[in-house]
Amino acid sequence: MNTLSNNNIARAIYLVLKEKTHTELQDINKKVVKFLVRRRLLSKAGDILKRLDKIINQESENIVVKVLSARKLKEESKKKLIFFLKERYKMKEVILTETIDEKLLGGIRVEINDEIIDLTVKNKIKKLQKHLTRKI
Amino acid sequence: MNTNYIVENLKKEIDNFTLEIKAEKVGYVLEVFDGIAKVSGLGDIKSSEMVTFRGGEIGVALNLEEDTVGVIILDDFTKIKEKDEVKTTGRILEVSVGDAIIGRVVNALGLPIDGKGAIKTDKTYPIEKVAPGVITRLFVDQPVATGIKVIDAIIPIGRGQRELIIGDRQTGKTAIAVDTILNQRGQNMICIYVSIGQKDSKLRKIQTRLEKGGAMAYTVIVSAGSSEPAPLLYIAPYTGVSIAEYFMDQGKDVLIIYDDLSKHAVAYREISLLLRRPPGREAYPGDVFYLHSRLLERACRKNKEYGGGSITALPIVETQAGDVTAYIPTNVISITDGQIFLETDLFYKGIRPAVNVGLSVSRVGSNAQIKAMKKVAGTLKLDLAQYRELEAFSQFGSDLDNTTKQQLERGKRAVEVLKQPQYSPMAVERQVTVLYALVKGYMDDIPVDKIKEFEEGLINYTENNAKKFYKEIIETNMWTDTGEAELKKIIEEFKSSFS
Repeated sequence: MNTLSNNNIARAIYLVLKEKTHTELQDINKKVVKFLVRRRLLSKAGDILKRLDKIINQESENIVVKVLSARKLKEESKKKLIFFLKERYKMKEVILTETIDEKLLGGIRVEINDEIIDLTVKNKIKKLQKHLTRKI
Repeated sequence: MNTNYIVENLKKEIDNFTLEIKAEKVGYVLEVFDGIAKVSGLGDIKSSEMVTFRGGEIGVALNLEEDTVGVIILDDFTKIKEKDEVKTTGRILEVSVGDAIIGRVVNALGLPIDGKGAIKTDKTYPIEKVAPGVITRLFVDQPVATGIKVIDAIIPIGRGQRELIIGDRQTGKTAIAVDTILNQRGQNMICIYVSIGQKDSKLRKIQTRLEKGGAMAYTVIVSAGSSEPAPLLYIAPYTGVSIAEYFMDQGKDVLIIYDDLSKHAVAYREISLLLRRPPGREAYPGDVFYLHSRLLERACRKNKEYGGGSITALPIVETQAGDVTAYIPTNVISITDGQIFLETDLFYKGIRPAVNVGLSVSRVGSNAQIKAMKKVAGTLKLDLAQYRELEAFSQFGSDLDNTTKQQLERGKRAVEVLKQPQYSPMAVERQVTVLYALVKGYMDDIPVDKIKEFEEGLINYTENNAKKFYKEIIETNMWTDTGEAELKKIIEEFKSSFS
């Protein structure tokens, strides 16, 4: 039975790659691929890479934020949002990925890992609907 | 109702509506099957925390793994799809409680299923709670009158006790429980009947019976039928005991019946195996003992400073072919303060309730027995023990000496007196009278087949004539010499008229 979790492997790869020069990296990368082949883990490579990405972000104090909005965000509000998120999560850098979804009607929805701050009009209307149709 | 009124009302409601902005922890359903969902994300979820699915379905997190969370779904799981959003609530599962719940039939989540409308309550209790500590408890010294002669006399149950009812299928386990509920009328007791994995038709029968006996006025039925998914069967007894705790916290005495815990264990086994927890003996998971011990430990009697209420628990366990050494029976036997053991052989011999007096015990109940009963039951126990020992010899009939013969005859009559039909609980003062007549030898010369007739006649006659004796038992729980003399005289009077 495979007792190594994908997370463990990703962390190990991160520790090996940490603070290495460019030439060293190439060599290590080959070794990592060989290891994955030997242990028949190549099919899990996608998940391992995702986790590695997460670990690298965490270690270098970056935070990946997904922002969904009905319209394109103004630069000013983007700046404000980044400032707020840096403060809230105590991170050095915020990497924003924007998605436009007209179904949200208005407002924004911010997704950070498994945390969601939903400030969309769609959500508000849904909550209002729940409030008005509740049983008394 | 005019349109203006509706618009005004809507406006008011919208004005009152405030939206709380908060960051929510969410996860996504990875897979869903048989009442279980595997969910990703939900980083800081606690064990036993309640989660909500997209359609408002409720779940409880049981397995917290490195990347995923194993959730049991307490609603219809067929509507939940892969990639659905799951939100944490920060609360553990709660059930609404209140005085309005009395007389109702509710499901495992405490919601009414009897079609009598919503239950208006404003309080909720968590379904999982740590049992009351040592400081808050008091020893068991108040009786629970079951109205069943053999139990009240030989295996007495006290308020705050946990007494297991164990036996094969069709031996009258539920009958004892239902009789006990029926007898609680006017005894200052609230009853909760938790039906786990029973047929709905059986539950309906019990409900009708309780209604007919006027017992629904102080009874709550919590039902998780056999058609419901395993997670609901698993939480039903905890829901029942939470309702019981609400009444206990008001200083009331509560009787709770779990019918039955073997099906509860099977439901938990199903959940555990689906959650891929390693199976142990009989494929039950390792924590199946804790499953029942934490439930039954919540039965207790609190002392005055902590409210003074009590929860008496009567768990029922079904055995297979009388095997009490199976896993669940041994577990529950060791958790409870005694057991009432029912046997198929006795049942078919016509000894009903089919209690095996030799194997049944009550470890704490004797302190709770009233004095008068203790006095008559002491000799009765001895009579029965001697009878069982000598029974094997009875086949040799004529070779026995007179004392042995007499003991055998007394034993036969004791067994006959302890027979009792279903749904006919007997008040304690009547029980004392009958048993007094038995142990003092007044029945020795009555033919065995006339014993029932004699018993019925005796009760009617003494109740009308030995009023002093009855009054003493009701008021002081014991007789005085004058009361006893009166009773003796009355019994003799009756006996001479009985042919």
